[in-house]
Amino acid sequence: MPSDVETIARENLSAALQPPADPHEIEPDLELTDYGLTSLQKVLFLTRLCEDLAVDLASLTERDVAEMRTLHDVVDTLSRHAGKAS
Amino acid sequence: MTDSVINRLVAGPPAPGHRISFIRLGSRRTLDLTELYEQSGRVAAYLQSLGVGSGDRIGILAANSLEWVLLDLAALRLKAVVAGFEPGKFADAAELVARYGLTVLFTDQDVPADAPAAVRTFAEVAEAAGQAWPEPPGPVVYGPEEVTTIKFTSGSTGAPKGLGATVGSIDASMRAVQEIFGHRSGDNLFVFLPLSLLQQRYWLYSALCFGHDATVTTYEAAFAALGTARPTVVMGVPAFFEAARQQIGQDAARADGVTPEAARRAAARRLFGDRIRYLWTGSAPADREVLRYLTDAGLPVYEGYGLNETCIVSKNHPGAHREGSVGRVLRGKEVLFDEDGVILVRSEHPVNRRYEFAEPGDSERMFVADGVVRTGDLGYVDEDGFLFIQGRADDVIVLGNGKKVIVRPIEEHMRTSPAIEECVVFCPAQTSLVAVVSPSSDTADLEAIAEQLARTNASFGRDEQIRKVVVASPRPSIANGMLTSQFKPRRQAIFAAFQSQITNNQDGIHAQ
Repeated sequence: MPSDVETIARENLSAALQPPADPHEIEPDLELTDYGLTSLQKVLFLTRLCEDLAVDLASLTERDVAEMRTLHDVVDTLSRHAGKAS
Repeated sequence: MTDSVINRLVAGPPAPGHRISFIRLGSRRTLDLTELYEQSGRVAAYLQSLGVGSGDRIGILAANSLEWVLLDLAALRLKAVVAGFEPGKFADAAELVARYGLTVLFTDQDVPADAPAAVRTFAEVAEAAGQAWPEPPGPVVYGPEEVTTIKFTSGSTGAPKGLGATVGSIDASMRAVQEIFGHRSGDNLFVFLPLSLLQQRYWLYSALCFGHDATVTTYEAAFAALGTARPTVVMGVPAFFEAARQQIGQDAARADGVTPEAARRAAARRLFGDRIRYLWTGSAPADREVLRYLTDAGLPVYEGYGLNETCIVSKNHPGAHREGSVGRVLRGKEVLFDEDGVILVRSEHPVNRRYEFAEPGDSERMFVADGVVRTGDLGYVDEDGFLFIQGRADDVIVLGNGKKVIVRPIEEHMRTSPAIEECVVFCPAQTSLVAVVSPSSDTADLEAIAEQLARTNASFGRDEQIRKVVVASPRPSIANGMLTSQFKPRRQAIFAAFQSQITNNQDGIHAQ
């Protein structure tokens, strides 16, 4: 069963894609750029996702952001930080 | 008092009371501009201690930060020339030192043990900025032809070209911009694009010279920082505003109990903060729909035109704005047209008259006599002096009857349909046009595409009619090589992929 972080990440990513994709059909290991996400759209997607997860984006570094290349990476990284916050 | 912005910057401390903030993920630092000036003097003394003097080149390979700005201002105070390298586009510090003859190169990246001694870390700059130095930098005065920095132009092929920017051109551009936008106390200019782009540093020079606040962030922190920084002006590019438009649309769609317009305005304030006076876009053509959407949401966006080689040529602004244009030509610039309709730009103070680093022949192709720049763009000036850009000279198709067709406006018109993501027009037989359309989803809405074809044909002249549309399947993507990494279509790859459908007379949606 997917974690809450993953569910919310899928919903946010789905909405960030043009045209929106089915949240359940997003492949966790496919590069976000292969879904047509530009680097700025990725930053915006992560900014909003952190808000929704109550993760302080400032607890990440620029390098963390660069290294989140797939949905899988995003869920892994933000799960660690979501854990810390609570 | 000198009216040279650069000479004012180096002549003494700025007026107190204005602040600059540096926001990265995980850190935020705010200084009064007088403190920034003070620290830049210490960094200048440190550079002197490394043997950096007038005319020497220093490299900066780093993301946006306080140290970046201190090094730039310190170099100005020594008449050292800054070469800014954008991380990601440039990597090998040792190679940069050799290729560009750098006295020293500063980086925020890890310095390998075998790097030359000229490669130094930002940590040293931070330390120097907090330290007292026995020998402060002496006074300097710039002449208009002196060069303060090297601008790099990444072409579609080959190594980036390097161009020295003259003090006269910087002064003239900044004065012209100040004249139309009047940045002043109370303003906070938001900079997140790389400081290696000279124009992004203009806004910091502007803060020091004209007295306003500024915020500098990294690309990654930009959207998170906007809400807290509460800028009045955001310096962006089309891709940034497109992403913002999409987000505002999403947020507005979730709002309940308010009109769509109020929801959009609220979503726009949520993203950009509540103090926006205007948004600045440039460097690439902006989508007209995006500009209109943001303007309607309470965020007026002003588009302009300029190349690295010309600096800012024209700009829309609150006092003179025409939709679809790139604004009126600025004071000190003149727009001319050659016999093919290509835009030439003459400047009272040219950025330069040739490249400092380029392949043989590059300078001659770009700079024609007398510092005039041949832009390669097509356009016209309307009766009220507004400049319109129609496309690249390379995008012109010459029909068999000798008529020239500029394809970009036709492609843009096709793209106004929500069913059409991308459109590229070809002329396979020199008699009529064929468009390849990338639909907005994998199941193409053929009816909507056919309707758009009819609308577009009705809007253009006899020689500009699209005979048929080929619906691309598979859709162009970066992975299949039909889009660039910037999501721009690669014409030749698209033509090659759909050549048989483009050239036969059967497939596709035909004009009625």
